Amino acid sequence: MQATPTSHNLPLQFENFTTLAQALDYAAQGETGYNFYSGRGKLYATLPYAELRHEARILARKLISLGVSRGSRVALVADTHPDFVRFFFACQYAGFTPVPLPAKIQLSGRHEYVNQLERLLSICQAKLAMATDDFMPFLIEAATRLDIHFVGNPQTYDKFSESRVELKPLGASELAYLQYTSGSTRFPRGVMITQAAVLNNLSSIIKHGVKIRPGDRAVSWLPYYHDMGLVGLLLAPLACQISVDYISTRDFAMRPRLWLKVMSENRATISFSPPFGYDLAACRLRDDEIGNYDLSSWRVAGVGAEMIRTEMLENFSNMLAPSGFNPQAFLPCYGMAECSLAVCFGPLGKGMLTDQVDADQLAEHQKAQPVKSAPASNNHRSNTFVICGGPLPGYEMEIRDSEGRELPERQCGTLYLRGPSVMSGYFGDLKATREVLSPDGWLNTGDIAYRIGSGLVITGRSKDIIIIKGRNIWPQDIEYLAEIQPEIRTGDATAFSILNSQSDELAVVMVECRETDNEKRLDLIRRLNRLIRQELGIDCIIELVPRNTLTRTTSGKPSRHATRNDYLKQFAAGNLENRPEINA
Amino acid sequence: MPKNEEVLQQIVDILKPKVSKDGLEVTAELDLVNDLGLDSLKVMEILEDLEDTFDISIPINILPGIRTVGDLVAEIQKLSDDK
Repeated sequence: MQATPTSHNLPLQFENFTTLAQALDYAAQGETGYNFYSGRGKLYATLPYAELRHEARILARKLISLGVSRGSRVALVADTHPDFVRFFFACQYAGFTPVPLPAKIQLSGRHEYVNQLERLLSICQAKLAMATDDFMPFLIEAATRLDIHFVGNPQTYDKFSESRVELKPLGASELAYLQYTSGSTRFPRGVMITQAAVLNNLSSIIKHGVKIRPGDRAVSWLPYYHDMGLVGLLLAPLACQISVDYISTRDFAMRPRLWLKVMSENRATISFSPPFGYDLAACRLRDDEIGNYDLSSWRVAGVGAEMIRTEMLENFSNMLAPSGFNPQAFLPCYGMAECSLAVCFGPLGKGMLTDQVDADQLAEHQKAQPVKSAPASNNHRSNTFVICGGPLPGYEMEIRDSEGRELPERQCGTLYLRGPSVMSGYFGDLKATREVLSPDGWLNTGDIAYRIGSGLVITGRSKDIIIIKGRNIWPQDIEYLAEIQPEIRTGDATAFSILNSQSDELAVVMVECRETDNEKRLDLIRRLNRLIRQELGIDCIIELVPRNTLTRTTSGKPSRHATRNDYLKQFAAGNLENRPEINA
Repeated sequence: MPKNEEVLQQIVDILKPKVSKDGLEVTAELDLVNDLGLDSLKVMEILEDLEDTFDISIPINILPGIRTVGDLVAEIQKLSDDK
């Protein structure tokens, strides 16, 4: 078996497509395509764009023969596998909306995963659902209580006969896909992205972000059920006709060095990862392998999807310098599923540009006052942030205070965006849509940021989000688990994160509890610890406090921000039962 | 074909260095997540070691059914028997 080529003769084109089907129709005239690698780093399947188009059109006719109406949601468990890709594009030709579902299961996590799938299938009102054999048992269980027209593995779908109707691919104003945000698992939201929106974002990424050129080749282990994996590393390469090599996310987590091996062997030029991925690869590098890789072709090492900490990236580039990795290849970017994917890119080939600001000014006045890194200013505490670059063409950005007033340069506030690739809304959730998207098209990102000229600096993502070892944990999911305990009332738990001495985030949940019996309190803590580990896969510091001691907002809900400050004060004063070191 | 006890011993040897709790004896009844405190990344490292040690490929769909050290031993035994 041979991977699809890097060099090819089809002229680069990306600006004239208005739908994903058109983009594939064009790419199918060349020889490039997708390649799939096993956990041992062996190529096990290739899917040239020409073959993908051919097979997707056959499958589209089979899907149509099932008689569900145009625009119906087709839920696809998004394992890194050629079948997911084939079904995703079959939907494009058949006129259905594909909905990638997470393909992520943990140790003893059967129950949680099935429940999650059931919620996601139900919210998008899926009419058809597909999983590869690995995930089929979970999908079947999740679908039993729902009214889904057909649930099957790829082989069963392939047995249907083809409808003879003429294919009418999804048009520019129809949805391209429904993307669940990587947010709360308990309260998921499905982002609606039109063909016009995603095609606009793809052409901006290709032209202004990564500046695709002949000889480019991408490698990805990012999941297809996240925006960066789906839009950035599945759709964007197709929209500019380059080849991609895939490793499954699970194989990457198990053998992170595979990423470097495939990059090296295929002389790939582009790959993206959250900072966490670079850290994992560096941590698991073996001394005897360091010089064996050739990473000198790697010109775009994209970094996004979580707050960027430069130490992790420096460590990675130092360790892989003998393999020819160039730190200037780091490309910071910022975006979110609600904007299709990308909003800002740093300047290409410049590496990480940072801004060092006075920590006290930032904490007390939300002002990003630059400090010189000269020895004279050593007595100032400072924070270093990565500059994510300017917005893509067509995007406007504003930093606003809590009253909605626009803030000047270097003043922190909430980031609002308006532009051509913003979502149409959250599927079936007008309330959540109205909370973030104004009638005149401004999206409240919830992220805290400041501006330097047109350059954007993010200082805190989604003010409440907790990120632990690369996993996004939403405080409401932790709070929910606490509040379903019989001893705890709804609204009596509040979760947030703190930093330990190594600057790693730790999750904390503070719970009002009237139980005084020590044994029963310990039992509650143990039970909650177990539940949080099972559902969310993290350790959490659990702090029981007397009733009416959490700081609440005017609406009576505990304030995460104020509670966190209280916690840190009490912690500093030594008043707490739990030390982060104990549970963590 | 390795016997169950041998497999258990080999697996315990792989688990031991990953467990952060000092002096804890790893036995079949213990829960991997709750008793041994393994997080998802540690689990991945352990799976890599297991695949390499037993020269097997561990399918992802068996993970949700594994709770204890004993469950893990039984699955690994089955996978290396089927080889």
